[in-house]
Amino acid sequence: MIGKQEQNMKLHSTNRTENGNAFAMQENARKKKRRLVKGMIYTLLIAMAVVCFIPFFMMIINATRSNEAILAGFSLMPGAALAENYAVLKDYVNIWSGFKNSLIVSVLVTVLSGYFSAMTAYGFAYYEFKGKNVLFIFMLVMMMVPGQLGLIGFYELSKTLGILDSFIPLIIPSIASPFVVFFLRQYIQTTLHPSLIEAARIDGAGEFKIFHIVAVPIMLPAIATMSIFTFIGSWNNYLMPLVLLFSPEKYTLPVLMGFLKGSQVAENLGSLYLGIAISVVPIMIAFLFLSKYIVNSISAGSVKE
Amino acid sequence: MKKLDRYGYVFIAPFWIIFLIFSIYPVALTFYYSFTNYTGSGVAEVVGLANYTRLLTDSYFLEAFVNTWKIWGVNFVLQIGLALLLAMIFSDMRVKLKGLSFFRSAFFLPNLITISSVALLFGILLDWQHGSLNMMLLKLGLISEPINWLNEPTTAQLSVSLILTWMWFGHSFIVVMAGVSGISKDYYEAALIDGANRWQTFISITLPLLKPILLYIMITSLIGGLQLFDLPMLLTDGVGSPDGSLNTMVLYLYNQAFKYNNYGYAAAVAYGLFVITLLFSAIVFKGMFKNERRKPGQV
Amino acid sequence: MKKIFSFLSIAALGVGLLSGCSGSGESGGSADVDLRVWSFTDELKEPITTFEEKNGVKVELTIVPIADYPAKLKPALESGVGAPDVFTGEIAFLKQWVDAGYWENLSESPYNADEIADNYVPYVFDLGKDQDGNVRALSWQTTPGGLYYKRSIAKEVLGTDDPDQIGEMLGSMDQVFDVAEKMKQKGYRMFPDEGSIRWFAQGANPQPWVNENNELMLTEEKMSFFDHAKTLRENSYTALAPEWSPSWLEAMDKPITVKEGGKETETQVFSYVLPTWGLHSVLKENVKETAGDWAVTSGPSPYFWGGTWLGVYNKSDNKELAYDFVKMMTQDDEFLTDWAKETGDVLAYNPVTDAIKEDFSDEFLGGQNNYEFFLEQAEQIKPGIVTKYDQQLDTLYGTAVQQYVDGKMSKKEAIEDFYKKVQNAYPDLTVK
Repeated sequence: MIGKQEQNMKLHSTNRTENGNAFAMQENARKKKRRLVKGMIYTLLIAMAVVCFIPFFMMIINATRSNEAILAGFSLMPGAALAENYAVLKDYVNIWSGFKNSLIVSVLVTVLSGYFSAMTAYGFAYYEFKGKNVLFIFMLVMMMVPGQLGLIGFYELSKTLGILDSFIPLIIPSIASPFVVFFLRQYIQTTLHPSLIEAARIDGAGEFKIFHIVAVPIMLPAIATMSIFTFIGSWNNYLMPLVLLFSPEKYTLPVLMGFLKGSQVAENLGSLYLGIAISVVPIMIAFLFLSKYIVNSISAGSVKE
Repeated sequence: MKKLDRYGYVFIAPFWIIFLIFSIYPVALTFYYSFTNYTGSGVAEVVGLANYTRLLTDSYFLEAFVNTWKIWGVNFVLQIGLALLLAMIFSDMRVKLKGLSFFRSAFFLPNLITISSVALLFGILLDWQHGSLNMMLLKLGLISEPINWLNEPTTAQLSVSLILTWMWFGHSFIVVMAGVSGISKDYYEAALIDGANRWQTFISITLPLLKPILLYIMITSLIGGLQLFDLPMLLTDGVGSPDGSLNTMVLYLYNQAFKYNNYGYAAAVAYGLFVITLLFSAIVFKGMFKNERRKPGQV
Repeated sequence: MKKIFSFLSIAALGVGLLSGCSGSGESGGSADVDLRVWSFTDELKEPITTFEEKNGVKVELTIVPIADYPAKLKPALESGVGAPDVFTGEIAFLKQWVDAGYWENLSESPYNADEIADNYVPYVFDLGKDQDGNVRALSWQTTPGGLYYKRSIAKEVLGTDDPDQIGEMLGSMDQVFDVAEKMKQKGYRMFPDEGSIRWFAQGANPQPWVNENNELMLTEEKMSFFDHAKTLRENSYTALAPEWSPSWLEAMDKPITVKEGGKETETQVFSYVLPTWGLHSVLKENVKETAGDWAVTSGPSPYFWGGTWLGVYNKSDNKELAYDFVKMMTQDDEFLTDWAKETGDVLAYNPVTDAIKEDFSDEFLGGQNNYEFFLEQAEQIKPGIVTKYDQQLDTLYGTAVQQYVDGKMSKKEAIEDFYKKVQNAYPDLTVK
């Protein structure tokens, strides 16, 4: 397109009489056109943003309307049945307990996976021991194994250990997170020079102290990046808690949502919408404050290896 | 120094203890169950390859396999197409759009929401007689008859694909954008001077340099897509309605194990799924790097 | 970097806050609970309150939606972790549970449940027995079915609202369609959905899904459900409101819009096919304005639907209290009299039903004596048709019919499809 315009310009510049005038007009037209294109693009982008948001918008609106009103027709005006909907919802499920459970599990998973993965990555990166490479490669291979593969065995194992219907099988396995270990090892190898460790040793620091004082601070940005993924992954995990938890008061949010669908709450659309809204809105608010950080982490996570 | 190196074992010990107990052992145990007729209680009787021969002739597993691919495929094409288009727009040096960070966040938002909430939400928004979507479309006069989205195999699968796209195109866009911003501006300036148009620039500069990133998106999306479970489970009745069109591989695995108590067979399904994932990941890798000589080693 | 810390601290703060909240909340799931009860509906809520007051104990009721109930309960009972002391079983999976060995044997002392056998409607008592004849679970209710309809619409369209006369008009499926046509002429819909007639489709002589040779039995009568359902759909006799959906419930009390053939019509639903418990746990819960305008009568053939049994978990460490609760629900004259009067639930416990049936009347049903009606219906119940496959097979069959009704498959294809799915879920059954 640009090539054509340049040709046009050349043609015009031969025409001396109208040169200045024509050039200005040309420039003007181009500006106009560019503004038009820009406007169109913006409209498109905004439309897409609206599409991204509209289901949530309808959810919030419908959460305030009565079942009757929702069945009767579509509206963009909020209703007045919020309190009523909440009363019905509260009668059957405690959404907030789902929230609490999800938060406990996700935070612990994030912390454990961050700390122990850093430790493992450090061990792999700065010590020379027998079988190191074999272990590392084995870990990489296991990284490719989807979680479903061990599902049946995992369930049986939890049954044998007597830890069904508890958070333990949801939290403890995160100590072994191969992907995080892999990412952190790549990261620390390029950021922490062995001479720093040597220096600390000469100063008389113990191995664990060196890890905590020297290595961890250097790894923190990478740990933080991975933490975002771990947290989101754990927060959204549906299959595992669905299989492992039975008591509704222990359900995490995703399982509670499935539970909501089958429960009597689903007989009242307003309450159902409200239940979904409660599960969604706090996340949206948290995202409002953290969006930049999260988005940057995703960029970083994908580009660095 | 040798003495200190023993600390290596100490540092990796917690990982390996947990890994052995909670990852390796269950995978091995599942493998064992896949040769038995275990029902979740009582004794597991070894039945040889019976589960695997059943798997090979099981039309429902095949159906689940085809469905999973269809749903994932449509979603992936749309998702990556949108992401590339957006990246093209935002990286265009001539247009210089503002608000990148706003749009990135806005497009990413659906990805953050618990999938089960998303499933529930769309389940009622897409309802035939009383869903908000049909009501809105009717009001706008875009349709004259309500569409029973979740009751027709094609529209149900399309709905799931579109929901997936809706959830993931923002994520892909961010990742693609990260890749684009890593491309040196010099290439584009050179292209500008050479008089290349937008499309040419995109095809001959952006796309080839984005290959590793696109591969990354494809592999992660494929692995995630083959494990599709939450949406089909919660959108309809959890056994794949309508007409088995939302029966996916992991849903099938779940139902066989935890609904019909065929644990042994479900274990075989898990291994079938694993082999398929492995196979297709390998194909993607191979396909992507067939003509690739410039940048070996980069993943 | 700072942000991630603030994020985590917000999260941690949130945990603290929320756990603080629930500490004062009612469902803590903590150790101060004396008795844990699991069920799939909330119908035990009030009895539990009564039981708590009477005995000065704390009872925790866990409600799991029926679709997930067996899948959630089984591992809990199997492992004993988080398991209830008392749990209920719905008739659709009752057979599975009585033989599974999780319920305490109530035929043994100190329960000696066999001694009270004569107090119950026989089929109800028998269904609670395992294959060796030991009592595992008891029930307080009998669940014969009926057809609930709105009197005002009946008067307008059929010229009478008398249950006996209406019942005669609905004596066969053909007659049902005649009435449905009359309803349609006046702008009403006979039923909310096609599934409404599935019980009548079993015909006068219902058979179990699976016979003693482990063969799947799809009888002619059962298959007629396909055609009847199609007739309903093609003639627009229903309001397209699927069972248990919000619109299904809403249509009980209010006009409902139906979108078909490119237009929207507002209509009202004439009748709901529901059994005894449909009155108190469905209709009364969802109907406000039309209360008193209802009546119940019989359809083309008798049927029964549902029913809740309850028993004691055999690994419970509080069996005495657990059985006390079972006793209150199934043998306590005073409690059951109140329960029956308040809810209209039809009891299976003769000492109470004998005392109250004659002068029973329900305001909701315009003063009709639904008790006598249902007890008469109960006599026609043939209990031998319950199998352990019922829950899954009913679901699969319903789906097959739906596909035919929606025009996605021919009848033959749908039946083939049903056979195939049954075989897949239950490889040990002989299909066809």
